[in-house]
Amino acid sequence: MDLKIKRKSNKTVITGSLVENYPHDLQMYKVPPTENISLHEFEALALERLTLLRCLSTATTLKGLRPYSEEWTEFVLNDLKTQGLKYYARLCEKSSCGTQDVASLQARRKDHIAHFILRLAYCRTEELRRWYIARELELFKMRFITMKSDDVDAFFNQNNLCYTSISDDEKNELIKYLRESTFHQSTQNIETFKFYKVKFFEVLDLVKARKVYLKGGYAYIPHKDFISVLSAQFRTHLRQSLAIACQHLGEIEQDERLVSLLKGLHQSYSGNDFISNTKIVIPIESIDSLSVKSFPLCMRQLHENLRSAHHLKHGGRLQYGLFLKGIGVTLEDSLRFWREEFTKIMELDKFEKQYAYNIRYNYGKEGSKKNYTPFNCLRIITNNVGPGECHGCPFRHSDINILKNKLKGYGLEGQAVNDILDVTKKGHFQIACSKYFDTVHNTGLDLGINHPNQFFEESQKLLQGEIKVVPKKEPKPSNNIKKEQDNFEDMDLDEITEWKET
Amino acid sequence: MADQHDENLLPDMLPLYYTRYFPQNIFCRWLSCGNNPKPLSNRELSFTLADDVYLRYLSINDQKEFQTLLQKKCPHKLDIGAVYNTKPSIDRHDAVVLARELVFDIDLTDYDEVRTCCQEAIVCDKCWKFMVVACEIIHTALRDDFGFQNILWVFSGRRGVHCWVSDYEARTLDSPGRAAVADYLCLIMGGENQNKKVHFASDLHSSIWRSLTIIDKYFEEILQDQELISTTEGLKSFLKMIPDETLATQVQENLERMPRSSLERWDTFVTTYNKYCKENINATRKIKYLVEEIKIQYCYPRLDVNVTKGFNHLLKSPFSIHPKTGKVSVVFKPEHAKSFKLEEIPTIYTLLDDSAQDNVQHQSNMRAAVKNFQELVFSLEKAEAMRRKNDANASLLEF
Ligand code: SF4
Ligand SMILES: [Zn+2]
Repeated sequence: MDLKIKRKSNKTVITGSLVENYPHDLQMYKVPPTENISLHEFEALALERLTLLRCLSTATTLKGLRPYSEEWTEFVLNDLKTQGLKYYARLCEKSSCGTQDVASLQARRKDHIAHFILRLAYCRTEELRRWYIARELELFKMRFITMKSDDVDAFFNQNNLCYTSISDDEKNELIKYLRESTFHQSTQNIETFKFYKVKFFEVLDLVKARKVYLKGGYAYIPHKDFISVLSAQFRTHLRQSLAIACQHLGEIEQDERLVSLLKGLHQSYSGNDFISNTKIVIPIESIDSLSVKSFPLCMRQLHENLRSAHHLKHGGRLQYGLFLKGIGVTLEDSLRFWREEFTKIMELDKFEKQYAYNIRYNYGKEGSKKNYTPFNCLRIITNNVGPGECHGCPFRHSDINILKNKLKGYGLEGQAVNDILDVTKKGHFQIACSKYFDTVHNTGLDLGINHPNQFFEESQKLLQGEIKVVPKKEPKPSNNIKKEQDNFEDMDLDEITEWKET
Repeated sequence: MADQHDENLLPDMLPLYYTRYFPQNIFCRWLSCGNNPKPLSNRELSFTLADDVYLRYLSINDQKEFQTLLQKKCPHKLDIGAVYNTKPSIDRHDAVVLARELVFDIDLTDYDEVRTCCQEAIVCDKCWKFMVVACEIIHTALRDDFGFQNILWVFSGRRGVHCWVSDYEARTLDSPGRAAVADYLCLIMGGENQNKKVHFASDLHSSIWRSLTIIDKYFEEILQDQELISTTEGLKSFLKMIPDETLATQVQENLERMPRSSLERWDTFVTTYNKYCKENINATRKIKYLVEEIKIQYCYPRLDVNVTKGFNHLLKSPFSIHPKTGKVSVVFKPEHAKSFKLEEIPTIYTLLDDSAQDNVQHQSNMRAAVKNFQELVFSLEKAEAMRRKNDANASLLEF
């Protein structure tokens, strides 16, 4: 990497003028920093950036606030201020290019360098990259959204982003469709918007959500939607840079102090990965009884479906299979378990040929032989669930009535059911899950559930009498995973070849 | 007869079929175009042999090699994978997928909760109408919204259709891009635990209005064919889609009193709904698009989005034989989907048996299918030539 670390001197050498290098509060981080900095500053900047990213993560995943909503932004800004990160707060609050005072320039410089340091810490595995990109993107968008239009224009100019708007004739011709398909507040008047034409793949998030008019491969976007174009570019650029950084890690790791610093950073990122703990083996025979109390609703549902229908569709096999692996079911037990169910409705031969492969795959014994991590709640909640499928998160993927009946059927009493349904309706699925946990275990721990395997482990701890005195908000990273972390990969659905009957 | 098939005959018949009927030349040209700028050999093919032995990472250099490979292995199933940066092989786990047609898979089993005429593997001309609607909607969207030109439609061999988009932009679209296209086109969402699978929170996108216009052309026919709300059970699941309980009760009372005709019941439902909306202006926000939502849930294409999102999902090749039905995966024009008759689809058995009753008709349908394929490949080749010329000009300009 181009980031040079100077260890002997503590003096900061600035190459090029700050004003020239940092004309704007917001940057695309296209060029890495070239100045020399002390190890001390290196560490401080890294930790501060990490705090910033964690704060975003808390707002989005733990608090369940809608990103970029007022509450979300307010939470982030307040948190930054209480954590003593005023300079980040100010960069986020009102990104602009007007002020060129020393404080602003220094803030921009720190922002720049820190971003590049964390790239090094977070480029190692797919899971880390994913987390890092998601946070950096939130940060970028948040800052862009709060910008005033002059500053936006300046930003476009500085980054060579030029687009021309469509002619009035074209706009008049399409106005009906633009009105129908462009996402806007009812108070806004589409007629006054200027529209720009970009290729549809530049605004995938708008396409995905059907918030933009498409014609002949082009998306027609108003000015405000340029954030989509930018974040797509930002994301692609960051993804590529991380891949490159990863290839060059070896060069940096010559310096042991840096190595331990960087590794320490990413390990404290977002908790446990729940890769099976080799010490505990869960015999498959105990699954039925375990599923009643220690399985979160999503897994309990899959388990019961498998038992009654003797089959699960692909999405379900993946979600449940990895969970089982995560709690400590061995490959042999797993194979036996799936085989017993599936062969109730199909020939053994068919099972061995079409399904056993996937199970071994989950354990890293087939295909690219990677050791896959069980899915976390976010992944499960954002998954697509189609007709005939029963994976996903029941709080997210069930009709309220069906959920209600299910909870009642499990013997939860009326008040508890209503509490759970209330938060579910508001869209706080993981909080609903915590409430479910508390009800089933008769506790008031109010854990933040962010992983089905965390649910399982917490439940087991309780049942085995290891009751904790202090309810904790965030699972602390456990130690047994660190050594091997690099060997584990997040599963990319692309890699799975599914046997499909046509 | 078309349905007299016997899997045991396949090992003898397939080599003949591959030599006499499989359009090898056009097939290789189609793949080569789709591989551009990489050579044909970078494309993964996979074979499933008679005893379910599964061979992945096969590849061919040219048509001759293809012919030899077909004769030697005699695959019962022939799948097409992605284009890699290198010749694919089992032990190259570092191979990277560079390109792949944008593909769609629509299968009638995903309609099992709406169709009543058949279930699972069975298909009849009544439920085929769902496929007709699906082709028209997806084809129009791919062409008008995304600007794609080279769109190939293939009968999957049993109970569905596949669609392959070969435009350069589609082939090189990355995973997030594929996911976005899939999500744009996917309106029915929800698993076993969700009765109502279509929710429109805000006003309808132009593409949804257009789809509704298409659905309307077939809606009444499908409603009657499938007896969607005439049976007690059908009515029950219909009522579950109405989120407003007062309205649901009213509809139930009105419909149960009526004769059991889906069409008349539907009209009554719409009248009841309109009246209810007028009387309860406050309650209507949630059910503003209820009628549209229900139509969509009944008739809109149910895509297997995972197939579209996956960059290297293997998909059955055009003109391969479905091992269970013996039917040829014929290429058809989307505008002809309507006149598609399932029993007129050529099978390997009738093609190879001169004395079979349907032989003549199947022969001519097979020729028509190959012609459809040819036309598409020709226009794809033209488009590729144009693109390369433009690219060359563009790079000249840079000097
Ligand atoms: S919140 Fe997480 S653990 Fe709980 S049911 Fe949903 S996906 Fe499962
Ligand atoms: Zn049918």
